[in-house]
Amino acid sequence: MTEKKKGKLTKVLDYLKHDDPFSKGVSFCPGCSLELLLRFIPQVLGNDIVITGTPSCSAPVLLGQNNQSWHTLSYFGTLMTGAAANATGLVRYYKKAGIKNTVVCFNGDGTAADIGFGNLSGAAERNEPFIYICYDNEGYMNTGIQKSGTTPFGASTTTTPFGSASKGKNLRRMNLGLKMAMSKIPYAATATLSDLDDLAKKLLKAKEAKKRGFAFLHVFAPCPTGWGYATENTIEVCRRAVKTNYFPLWEAVNGKIRMTKTVKKPQPVSTYTELIKKFAHLNEADLKILQDDIDYEYCMLGGLSVLEGECQLPVSSED
Amino acid sequence: MKPKADVKTKAGSQIKVITGNAAAAIGAKLARPDVVAAYPITPQTEIIEQISKFHADGEMDCELITVEGENSAMNAVMAASLAGGRVFTASSSWGLVFMYDAILATAGARAPVVMVNVNRETPGIIAVSSGQQDMISTRDAGWIFLIAEDCQEVLDLVLQAYRLAEDYDIQVPVMVHYDGFYLSYLSEGVNVPLQEDVDRFLSVLNDQPQRTRLLPGGKLGCGTHGILGGYLELRYKHVSALERSKAKFEEIDKEFHQIFGRSYGGQIEEYRMDDADVVLVGSGSMCGTIKAVIDEKREAGVKAGLLKIRMYRPFPSEAMVAALAGKKAIGVVDRSLCFGFKGGPIYTELKSLEIQLGGSKMISFIDGIANTDITKANVEQMIDTTCDLAAGKDVREVTWVSYPEAREPDSEKTGGL
Repeated sequence: MTEKKKGKLTKVLDYLKHDDPFSKGVSFCPGCSLELLLRFIPQVLGNDIVITGTPSCSAPVLLGQNNQSWHTLSYFGTLMTGAAANATGLVRYYKKAGIKNTVVCFNGDGTAADIGFGNLSGAAERNEPFIYICYDNEGYMNTGIQKSGTTPFGASTTTTPFGSASKGKNLRRMNLGLKMAMSKIPYAATATLSDLDDLAKKLLKAKEAKKRGFAFLHVFAPCPTGWGYATENTIEVCRRAVKTNYFPLWEAVNGKIRMTKTVKKPQPVSTYTELIKKFAHLNEADLKILQDDIDYEYCMLGGLSVLEGECQLPVSSED
Repeated sequence: MKPKADVKTKAGSQIKVITGNAAAAIGAKLARPDVVAAYPITPQTEIIEQISKFHADGEMDCELITVEGENSAMNAVMAASLAGGRVFTASSSWGLVFMYDAILATAGARAPVVMVNVNRETPGIIAVSSGQQDMISTRDAGWIFLIAEDCQEVLDLVLQAYRLAEDYDIQVPVMVHYDGFYLSYLSEGVNVPLQEDVDRFLSVLNDQPQRTRLLPGGKLGCGTHGILGGYLELRYKHVSALERSKAKFEEIDKEFHQIFGRSYGGQIEEYRMDDADVVLVGSGSMCGTIKAVIDEKREAGVKAGLLKIRMYRPFPSEAMVAALAGKKAIGVVDRSLCFGFKGGPIYTELKSLEIQLGGSKMISFIDGIANTDITKANVEQMIDTTCDLAAGKDVREVTWVSYPEAREPDSEKTGGL
């Protein structure tokens, strides 16, 4: 390890001002990005958050069993259909009762982009004062690797399997982060686990922003079990997703988009897909479609980031 | 119809001519909820409109969440309730079934939510019309279901629902049902209680232990995985709480009478039942008509009575057996269907008490579906048929009163619809 790398690591640790409320051993798959993310959030935001979660990969650890729990946070196991509405109910009551709170509505992409998108959108429209985090593992990993709205083009899943008449998912992915950034909310951002200082800053910004309303974080969270890559490669997959602009890091404060990490020489998407089995069947022409989709999304992001002006937000909910 | 002539209006309380929906909205306002979720659907919309107006005019100090769908309405109030708040929402029909997963979760979480459901036919056939099929579609969710007969009872039941739902020994969500169109838009005189009396009626809850609340830093989990014994424990406790709610509802009715001067009899209301030979079992707005016809039949020497179901879940088995045992014949009027059975849902359930009833004969009447009026003539026909049954005549088990084309549901015909 070089001195420089050590310095960087220390910088991240500086953000971890609170205890890790989770048990030392938890029942996630080996190499799961979710474990790092879940342990990270309360260490940055504090142990007094109320965290909500749905049936999903996070559920076995987040929601506990009977009267046993893997952690000491206040939590609420919600429905996938109504996760953001549940968080809404909590913050509205806390507001009425004058109880200071940081509610983190923590959901996978199946909830955020698919079955629970309606109430996510509704909560954003009403500018509800909580932090919504989508950990995006690009499909329904917990139920056995099915396609979701954020599953990328070409990915083989158990409902878009690669076969003689199929190339995997024959649709482009939903860009959930940009959709939310367009919702005129105080804060929207993307993050991933190869850039933990960026993630930590964004968590704190989200906490600050929720004083003015809805904050949304879209966190790229790869899954070794569902995607088919070596368990030690989780962070490398995140890193390459950023370096290829497959998952660019940006934030939108009051709707004003800016890149938080600019990749000077983006690498071709094949340097990312080559690590992952769910893309293994794609030929050059297929990869071109995926590359074009990424380029298009990045182009759109670039265009939006040069726009002047911010959205005018309503009066703070905590004023 | 109420207000009954013998009701004493308390000094300061007012009799207002208002709709059932307005009565529900005023009931909710008087209960001072912390959080209300609002989403429109016919014939419930007027409730949330009125609450929104109260809120806009500063008369109602609640967090009003104008959600993007009924599913979110139920999810929002469930969470607010688990955090410790008093909550209210209202829906109907398609809206109610769009809440369905959240309705189940609310009951499972034992969140003491109070909501109003204005009865309307459910999806399947588009029918913007009255019927209790929505109630039946959600009856097995684990909620307490109460049914109002008139606009006064709508208001009074909303208040009683809070006492029941939030009681420390109960902690089960309560749904107050009343007939869409017949009551939702019917204007009649309603005695609107004084705020101070409602506060006093509900203050009993403040003296009880604080229920568990989901608070920041509180190290409490709601909605864990219930596995094996853990699941069984929670379900058993839930079923037990439902059983306890029967006696609790009777107590609440008595206390309500002491403060407001109105009593309804608790789980069931018995009308001219003491010496009755034949009984109609009904619920909701039809009961006014049934009472009027019974009065006429009594004049003609027919010993008829009415058992009105006020608490439908839990099913008031003991009270019904006590009231019905030994009666010669019972006709059960259902405003809904029990798919898979020939008779209506309440009929089918009452049949499970046949042995305890000691040989009373029973028949099923299906009427009032999709706004078909349960007219006096229809009720007369039901009483006459029940009398025929009592006299040992051969009568059909199930009668679709407003659809004479129906014989017994046809098992012979094959092919097509």
